[in-house]
Amino acid sequence: MLDRLPPHKKIDSDMWVDEAIWGHRLYDEETPWLCFMEFLNVLNAEIEENRGLKEDAEKRNELSYSPKSRLYLRHILFNSPQMSLIAKQFRNDSNAQWSKWMESMISNMGGVDHPDLNYLQDRFIDFEKFVEIVEFVRSSTIEGENNKRWSSQFIFPYGPDCLYEDLDVKDDKVTSDRRFFSRTGELLYLMLCRSGRQEEILDQLSSKFLNPDSKLNRLVAGLQPPAPVQEYRGIRTNTYLPYVDLEEYRNLADDWLSLFKCNLSAYDFIPYLVDLTGLHMVIYSLKRAYQTIGSDESPVFVLEIIGPKKTVIRDLAAESFSQNNNLSQRAVEAYIGSIKYTERWTSAAQENDITEIRALMKETFMWPKDSKDHTITNLGTPDAVFEEFAEAVERRHRQHVGKFHGGWTREIGLSSRRGSRRIRYAPHDSLLKTLVLVVVQERMEFKEFLDTLYSKYGFIIDAPQARKYIDSGRADQADFKENAKRLEQRLSSMGLLMRLSDACAYVENPFAIRGAN
Amino acid sequence: MFMPVNNSAWISFLRQYGPIPKNDAMYDESIQRMFKKKRIKPINIESLYLPDLIENFKSSESKSVILTGTAGDGKTYHCRAVWSALNGSPIEWDDASKVKHLQLGQTTLHIIKDLSELSQNGSDDIEHFVKFCDSLLEPNSKDVFLIAANDGQLLDALRQVASTESLLLVKEFIEELLVSGKVEIENFRLKMYNLSRISAQWAFPRIVQNLFEHEGWIECDTCSFKDNDSLSQRCPIWENKRRLEGEYNNHNIHSRLVDLLTLCEVNGFHVPIRQLLLLVSNMILGHPAARDNIMNCKDIPKILGQQTISDGSIYRNIFGENLSERRRESRDIFSMLGRFGIGNESTNKIDNILIFGADDPELNSLYEKLVLEDSYYGADPRYRAQQKAYLEGTTEDEGKEFLSQVRSQRQRLFFEIPDSDSDELKLWNLTTFQYAGEFLNDVYRVALIDGKVSSHITSRLVRGLNRIFTGLLTKTQEELFLATSGSNSQAKVSKFFEASISVPRKRGESVSVIRSGAETALLQVSLSNSPNVPPIHLELNLIRYEFLCRVADGALPGSFSKECYEDILAFKSRILTQLQKRRIDEYEDEASNTNLTFQIIKLTTDGMLERKTVEVNI
Repeated sequence: MLDRLPPHKKIDSDMWVDEAIWGHRLYDEETPWLCFMEFLNVLNAEIEENRGLKEDAEKRNELSYSPKSRLYLRHILFNSPQMSLIAKQFRNDSNAQWSKWMESMISNMGGVDHPDLNYLQDRFIDFEKFVEIVEFVRSSTIEGENNKRWSSQFIFPYGPDCLYEDLDVKDDKVTSDRRFFSRTGELLYLMLCRSGRQEEILDQLSSKFLNPDSKLNRLVAGLQPPAPVQEYRGIRTNTYLPYVDLEEYRNLADDWLSLFKCNLSAYDFIPYLVDLTGLHMVIYSLKRAYQTIGSDESPVFVLEIIGPKKTVIRDLAAESFSQNNNLSQRAVEAYIGSIKYTERWTSAAQENDITEIRALMKETFMWPKDSKDHTITNLGTPDAVFEEFAEAVERRHRQHVGKFHGGWTREIGLSSRRGSRRIRYAPHDSLLKTLVLVVVQERMEFKEFLDTLYSKYGFIIDAPQARKYIDSGRADQADFKENAKRLEQRLSSMGLLMRLSDACAYVENPFAIRGAN
Repeated sequence: MFMPVNNSAWISFLRQYGPIPKNDAMYDESIQRMFKKKRIKPINIESLYLPDLIENFKSSESKSVILTGTAGDGKTYHCRAVWSALNGSPIEWDDASKVKHLQLGQTTLHIIKDLSELSQNGSDDIEHFVKFCDSLLEPNSKDVFLIAANDGQLLDALRQVASTESLLLVKEFIEELLVSGKVEIENFRLKMYNLSRISAQWAFPRIVQNLFEHEGWIECDTCSFKDNDSLSQRCPIWENKRRLEGEYNNHNIHSRLVDLLTLCEVNGFHVPIRQLLLLVSNMILGHPAARDNIMNCKDIPKILGQQTISDGSIYRNIFGENLSERRRESRDIFSMLGRFGIGNESTNKIDNILIFGADDPELNSLYEKLVLEDSYYGADPRYRAQQKAYLEGTTEDEGKEFLSQVRSQRQRLFFEIPDSDSDELKLWNLTTFQYAGEFLNDVYRVALIDGKVSSHITSRLVRGLNRIFTGLLTKTQEELFLATSGSNSQAKVSKFFEASISVPRKRGESVSVIRSGAETALLQVSLSNSPNVPPIHLELNLIRYEFLCRVADGALPGSFSKECYEDILAFKSRILTQLQKRRIDEYEDEASNTNLTFQIIKLTTDGMLERKTVEVNI
């Protein structure tokens, strides 16, 4: 088993279980998009300190960064409900529009010292043009039409001036409550730091997404006051990724780099990067679970390519989904259960030494918190202590980490309920396209493509990869072949596949550099 | 009364080509045996490439040849034909050796008629293939090869042997030939003929002609069911044959079927010769009540007695309706033709004619012409009785049987409506693809002869593209609008104006339909005259065309097909990338502008796209 890095001493946590297995932390409500945004924030803050994607090998998990809050921009974009109303009420009187609007804003700009919005009037021809631009920028809100609070709305990352962290703003009080930037983006940052590809990745990201001169970045900058800005800024620490070196980090980075070889305009890369990151995070989470159970298995996913009728593959895909979905729970049980096999536990248990048991639990799992010691004083046997703990662990796990696999696979279009009540792996077109762009350099024979999807991601679509299910009589060769055929047809109608003869076809990357028009 | 019935050996032979469970006629080897056994004169279908092949091997500068193609394209048939044309011995051909050798002057010809036989048998045999690869790079080699393999086997074999640099080079060349469809590459001693490139349009008439000219049909002359004056005693086999050949209804069945087959091919589904033979055999001999659903002479009296002649109608048989659903689906040709939905799709008018035509004075003349006139497969006594019962509400199965007959009639009408009525009756609305007829006749076939596609068609395509590219329900069709959401070009609604491309040719810009090679029509978007910014192409196939037209006429992009939507968005993405190239080519550098201006697209009240400039002083 791999060695885990030691946890931080200062972390204030109810227990240290999920974090020990997967890091601090995987969080279902931080969607892959938000994870990517959080990552860009970390990256940009670190680049400003000349530490972009650099982690000192002697000082693991000591990342400390200070992201921007850009509260001016966010108040204007997302916390200015009066804007269009005022524009209508005072039509044809730009001055009145400006002054009424500013009046409505000034008293409500939490987190900004001495707010002053006068700079805007010099930059825009009139108020209505300003409103138009605000609406345009707002239309690029990530996961638009969501019902999150205004301080958790993010705009598309056109450049560094579009990056800011998730905050809770109440009146004048600004706190980082980690509601949606819940540190999964920090994990991504650390993974890339440890991928061995950090320099190439850094090059790509800074030139593609962190260019301050791009037109739209300048536009967003134009909504913000001239420097220096007097607003809230915090420092973020306590990041934790348990393992120093994993092939999953390299695979993630390599896939990013393969994607960057496509001939796409810079911003178009982002949705693909998001899907891809999501997929690798899911694989990371499942692999850690297997490892914790003591298995060296790699996760596999039976993918149903949705067809008009219900098939055996649909059942297998649903079953495969639920197996993987339960894996994290099993991992947690195995992880905490292993304490019972330690010498300290057995000897303390033999003598019913509850004090020793409690000490052991606290040292290993940080449980309970010092402030909650009293909650277990009435438990008289080691088993009672363990049961209490196991229940608390399960409760906590179910809240977020337990939902990670389900939530993230849905977000990246890997799992779906389409046409059925059961959730199963049934990839969306967008994910399929992402896979083609990453796996296929220029063109690749269809069977080889399927084989590569299996060896890289554990995806089972066609019969040769499904031996286990066919040999056990769960499905026929023909069922899987039909499934692959449906994929072939789908890729073909997406313009990603060229058919030769006799079930022989090439998957083509439409954005390959050579071969491109 | 005694009726002389012939049990024709020819018909039972023809049956072997049909979709019977043990279809021996699938293979050239067994067919040759059958010809001999039954003493039937072999069918020899003209081959497009054979003269070239023979000439090549006779020439002093002969090159090796790979014949690729789908199973059933006639690869083995070609090999054997070359062998006998070069005086190879028939006995030697039939022996078990996998590689045949023939001395031609200075050079030796090696024929590998089935590459997969070699690769299955381990290292010894595969040596032949390595030798072949070596000979390609050796300018003075005395060995030439003729190899038959489908693309998959060829790639497998190449993967097996590609160990050295020169073999990798060969692999690369061959892949290039496969994918590009070229016959040869300069300085490379190989020709590649892809038999799958022989179009059904070319092959189908030849197959029909060949089968119908066969002397076997003479046996039918003495059969009393042939063309019997009483329709209830008339043989459906002969009737089906009669309708497919000659002058029957202006050759309509023939030409509509070729239309369907061509559309399949434009969509990337090739129809091999063997499948065409299977189709023709089934068209003539199909009947659900016969053994294996394929008629033999001795089934005829029974079928006539049961009065189920029309169940074996050629129009139903084209779609394999004589077979069970499972068997139908397992045959590529029927699953392909099934995708047109002919029988399930209809229009009110057609259905009104079929159901109420007898009593509706407005439809009566069409009813007479399209239904009554064909009293064999159209208004036969069974249909008229069912129709009457249905209209009077006296059927015992709630009209189920009658409606299934209506379905068959729709299939018949697809092949029987004359060209002169096809617009008025909206012939192609009998299929899933309403625009298929227009696509085939006014776009694809026009482009292939370098004709100019009508501007109203190009405009409609551009309108469809504009709706998809901007996400707005616009009518603009004179310019192609390129827009993004500012961020992601694949966003559903894109209002950030990037550029507009003139549809008529103007300073290097244009949108047009052109030809590529012998069998592809492309939509071409040119952005510039500069050689650094070549045009972008979208291959036009039926699905894409139908999608763009439907969107142009009001369907929502996501509703027809999500895949098509993604597909067209990828096209947009490629145009945008090219636009970036044009900017570089024309030294437009966005960062050098000190003032920040850009344009946002709006939809005017009459549905036109309009640009509004926005400016910021930073």
